[in-house]
Amino acid sequence: MAARGLLLASFLLFSCFAETYGMISFSSLPRTLVVTASHRQGLLKADEDKITVIWGLNQSFPAGTDSAYTTIKVKLCYAPISQVDRAWRKTVDHLSKDKTCQFKIVSRPYSNTNQTFQWTIERDVPTATYFVRAYAFNAEDHEVAYGQNTDAKKTTNLFEIQAITGRHVSLDIASVCFSAFSIVALMGFFFAEKRKGRKAQQ
Amino acid sequence: MEVQGTVPESHPPKFTLPVDTEHKATEFRLFSVAAPHMRAFHLAWVSFFSCFVSTFAAPPLLPIIRDNLNLTSTDIGNAGIAAVSGAVFARLAMGTACDLFGPRLASASLILLTTPAVYFTSIASSPVSFLLVRFFTGFSIATFVSTQFWMSSMFSAPVVGTANGVAGGWGNLGGGATQLIMPIVFGLIRHTGADNFTAWRIAFFIPALFQTLSAFAVLIFGQDLPDGNFRGLQKSGDKPKDKFSLVFYHGITNYRGWILALTYGYCFGVELAVDNIIAEYFYDRFNLKLHTAGMIAASFGLANVISRPGGGIISDVVAKRFGMRGRLWTLWVVQTLGGVFCIILGQVGSLSASIAVMIAFSLFVQAACGLTFGVVPFISRRSLGVISGMTGGGGNVGAVLTQLIFFKGSKYSKETGITLMGVMIICCTLPICLIYFPQWGGMFCGPSDKQTEEDYYMSEWSSTEKEKGLHHASLKFADNSRSEKGRRVKAAALPTDESSPTQV
Repeated sequence: MAARGLLLASFLLFSCFAETYGMISFSSLPRTLVVTASHRQGLLKADEDKITVIWGLNQSFPAGTDSAYTTIKVKLCYAPISQVDRAWRKTVDHLSKDKTCQFKIVSRPYSNTNQTFQWTIERDVPTATYFVRAYAFNAEDHEVAYGQNTDAKKTTNLFEIQAITGRHVSLDIASVCFSAFSIVALMGFFFAEKRKGRKAQQ
Repeated sequence: MEVQGTVPESHPPKFTLPVDTEHKATEFRLFSVAAPHMRAFHLAWVSFFSCFVSTFAAPPLLPIIRDNLNLTSTDIGNAGIAAVSGAVFARLAMGTACDLFGPRLASASLILLTTPAVYFTSIASSPVSFLLVRFFTGFSIATFVSTQFWMSSMFSAPVVGTANGVAGGWGNLGGGATQLIMPIVFGLIRHTGADNFTAWRIAFFIPALFQTLSAFAVLIFGQDLPDGNFRGLQKSGDKPKDKFSLVFYHGITNYRGWILALTYGYCFGVELAVDNIIAEYFYDRFNLKLHTAGMIAASFGLANVISRPGGGIISDVVAKRFGMRGRLWTLWVVQTLGGVFCIILGQVGSLSASIAVMIAFSLFVQAACGLTFGVVPFISRRSLGVISGMTGGGGNVGAVLTQLIFFKGSKYSKETGITLMGVMIICCTLPICLIYFPQWGGMFCGPSDKQTEEDYYMSEWSSTEKEKGLHHASLKFADNSRSEKGRRVKAAALPTDESSPTQV
């Protein structure tokens, strides 16, 4: 009786900690997925280059580990060097507050076999150093496992992406023209005022 | 054409509003556009509004810009400081320019000279270029000084606080409106298919164009003084040309200007600092959408529509009964309360409480700004521009200091920075106790019986200058400012105060 009460209490407590909406912590997730990301050598360009991501369950785990996995979401995540002095990219243990992985590469229903996806880097990805992480979600859409293409300290297999500038030649020309117009107009007004003053004196 | 002293009599001008002996309006009619008084008011506040929109156009879009230009928190902090530091000296220069060339030319020139910086924001490509465009764009908010100078030239003592407060407040509104306008413009441009990183660039053309057009309006429709423009009046001999060195000297040697420069840094300066950080604060701390953070941040600046004018009106209302002493006391109380609410803002952790406290904070801090410029017009008549410039510049110094100490890099979290800023507000408001006008008194001391308004304002002119008759405008002002004695003292004073003065 007492044992059951204790079990119930601890179960409730556990579920409060782990299953309360938004309170899942990253450190509680097992790393059961294997993720690799391949790309061409050198600096990758947004909107041009592609990254091929392969993910699957790590076979060294016992069977049944993946029984709760319903969806896999693969994300592009900031490496530590790109998080320095940028609080809006901070890594925080509580997943709902974590800002490490801000770009979704792909979302697929979970499958037992290894999955591949080729992703063209999107136009709104900023210049930074990245790695790839995959989260496994259960039916309630809570994270239950993860995998990433880098080590635990996030130092290996990182890659750099360079963003588009967003600038266009037409914008540059418009800026220069409008600026010149403002200055010329000001000089024009001064000139007109002086002429009015001289005329009034005559 | 005969020239008699400083009274233009070729054809006595007819004014729509009632005026005093200097032809300054003694009433403030908000919904009129009658030339020259109310027209000047509307031109002044709209052009100043456009400058504020441009200067603070970047903060609401920072979540996009920081990714496009690869900015760090330090870069963002530096750019925010740069945006308000340029105007420190620009405001002082503007004050002098107003004294010498008139507010119409001074403000329109500055506005047109800074619009290129806004256009060039569209082509910024690095942290350095971003800092530079924000620095040069920030010069434009020196038009605050020309706005206040213009209002103090057009409106008489009983309504000058109100005129200054409404013009200043509705201009400052730009800092709040931009937090709404820019995300909306950005959203519309994105809707047409542009990328994030292009859309924000195009969005900057809107404030830039608005600024250009408002400068044109000032040049075409504006007029420096009730009687005409500086140049015209100087040529006809109706307004003597003053010397820069003397105007400057009499401004900077008046200690009251320095005290208000400090205290203004802790109402207006704080307002600028908050304009720079508040959208990011709500976006990051409460995980809001860009649009929502922008709306909340906007409400801080939008409170200016009533708070700053309210401060000006309260200043005038209090002055009717208690004179200058009432203006000073009210300023101190309101600004200190602003500091208290600032401390609370940094402490509250829930979104709704934060919004409520932020609105209270904005009301008090902005009312303090209005109250400050209820006092400024009386500190000097000859060097009104320089004093306005010093006070205005002090406001920007406060903004620079506050951001440097509390909001640069990652030393303090934004919440802690906000609380500490509140403490600093309370401390830096205390010097108001030291302001003393011999003819009206200060917070703790009554007026001296021996000094009159004329003595105070004539001390700015040497005897040679008085012989040349350069001081007549100041004499008129001294007479018109007698209302600053307040009602109680007036009743006890000699009856000659009420009758029209006899000019020598």
